[in-house]
Amino acid sequence: MIADFFHSTVMMGALMPALLIGFVASSISCMILAHRLSFLTVGVSHASLAGLGIAVTLSLPLLPTATVVAVLVALLLASMPKTEGISEDSGTGILFAGSMALGIVLLAKANSQDVDMLGLLFGNILTTSPQEHLWLLFIGTIIMISLILYARSWWSIAFDAVTAQAGGMPVAFLRLMLYAIVGLTVILCVKLAGIVLTTGLLILPAATAWFWGRSMLHIWLLSVIGSLTATMLGMMISYAYDWPSGATIVLSLCILFLISWSLSWLNQRVKIAKHHPL
Amino acid sequence: MNKAPVIELSHVSFGPKHAPILKDIHLTLNAGHFMAIVGPNAAGKSTLISIIAGLITPAHGHIDLFGQCMNRFNKNRIRKHIGFLHQLHDHEPRLPMRVDEVVAMGLAEYASPLWKPLGNRQAIEDALRHVDMLEHIHRDFRQLSGGQRQRVRLARALVRKPRLLILDEPAAALDSKQQEALYRQLRNLCDTQGTAIIMVEHDIAAISDYVDSVACLNQRIHHHAMRGESIPDEVWQAMYGEHINIMAHDKGCIGCHEPPKTTHSHARHSERGESH
Repeated sequence: MIADFFHSTVMMGALMPALLIGFVASSISCMILAHRLSFLTVGVSHASLAGLGIAVTLSLPLLPTATVVAVLVALLLASMPKTEGISEDSGTGILFAGSMALGIVLLAKANSQDVDMLGLLFGNILTTSPQEHLWLLFIGTIIMISLILYARSWWSIAFDAVTAQAGGMPVAFLRLMLYAIVGLTVILCVKLAGIVLTTGLLILPAATAWFWGRSMLHIWLLSVIGSLTATMLGMMISYAYDWPSGATIVLSLCILFLISWSLSWLNQRVKIAKHHPL
Repeated sequence: MNKAPVIELSHVSFGPKHAPILKDIHLTLNAGHFMAIVGPNAAGKSTLISIIAGLITPAHGHIDLFGQCMNRFNKNRIRKHIGFLHQLHDHEPRLPMRVDEVVAMGLAEYASPLWKPLGNRQAIEDALRHVDMLEHIHRDFRQLSGGQRQRVRLARALVRKPRLLILDEPAAALDSKQQEALYRQLRNLCDTQGTAIIMVEHDIAAISDYVDSVACLNQRIHHHAMRGESIPDEVWQAMYGEHINIMAHDKGCIGCHEPPKTTHSHARHSERGESH
């Protein structure tokens, strides 16, 4: 079965983009957890439906249009609470609902042959075109370069934004950058896991690693290892049992998380038992 | 060497006109000077140091730091010379960080790309030694006690060897022995490295042996007492209200009014104010 998987041209064509998405998403996932941006990823992924709706209606390229809309929505969310006095979760909820409604209306009016609704909602990495592969590679490269350039600044802001600002760090600019990068990553993940499941790819890897990491770099490494393992496993299971690949990868991540959580709980019990023997 | 004052504030006001938080603040602080700000709750102490640190913009007035007028274009560059420790809010840190990583965040070059190693290991160790935390250098920051975390945060402010150190109640989580050690170390920084320190503190008796001056703040600076100078009763009354009860003090105390008989107990002026 494993040999068949590696001989399947469809699976081999999809494996590289899937691993690229797994690598990039797990890297950003550490920042998402450090900055408590989980709800933002839900909001931006659902808001990207508006971008897809606009692209289908105006016959624009799907991924680039969705990318621009997702980044704009993320930047709007970054600036909204400060200027209008709206809390971040309320702002996310408003934009999430509004842009998803816009997306549904636009897609409902489009020619049904133009829209793979299931693919948009749950992802379909098996049907990506070579142009889309290039686009994913382009976005992934931008995200990883930004991460290498600004990771330390973003950690510092997550640890203590006030002190970072008083120390001369351009906190407002760096926060905008982070939101834009999260927006880009969401679009990257939508191709693999769809609008509904994207959040799983962006939260589960770092959440799994968080129990064991002793530094942010350590968490990053564990997060990437976990994500690549789950992606490989998910792709193979989806091939063997003909399951949807995005959902199977998210399920694999969930299983890894549960194993990590259980082991961490067990580890804590053992430590307590060692220090306080009956 | 720039001989301009480290801080020069003139006509600084903040807040709405009908309910100002700060009114017409004038303040000059030179290199090597250790100044404490005292005042009742909601007197504007934290607001004043936030203005000096460039975290908030005053409604009126002028701020010069290190002889340069602070504006939006040079703000971040000027702030590279500031060490800042704000009031504790997050009592439970979440990020997995070792003590040395937390201190490294205070280095001016910390915001460099990941491929550049942070070479200033000696500065990190020196800063931790200053706050007596060197032995904990590899520990998880989350596992430390509140007082230990506060000392690590202080090391983070010290690691870049700032020309100006701004501290908002740095001793809040420390016991009296650690408080004394902290004030002694801060005094030492002023004397040996010429660091200017501005510190918000409530307990004037605890700091009086170490600071050069005390500014009494309640919306405006009612009095700026130098070492050996007394603070008149009417200043305390203007800050804390009419019903304060002036207690006792000793000769070394800054700000105490000359008593009929000198006793050896320190007065706690800030607490007097809260008793009315």
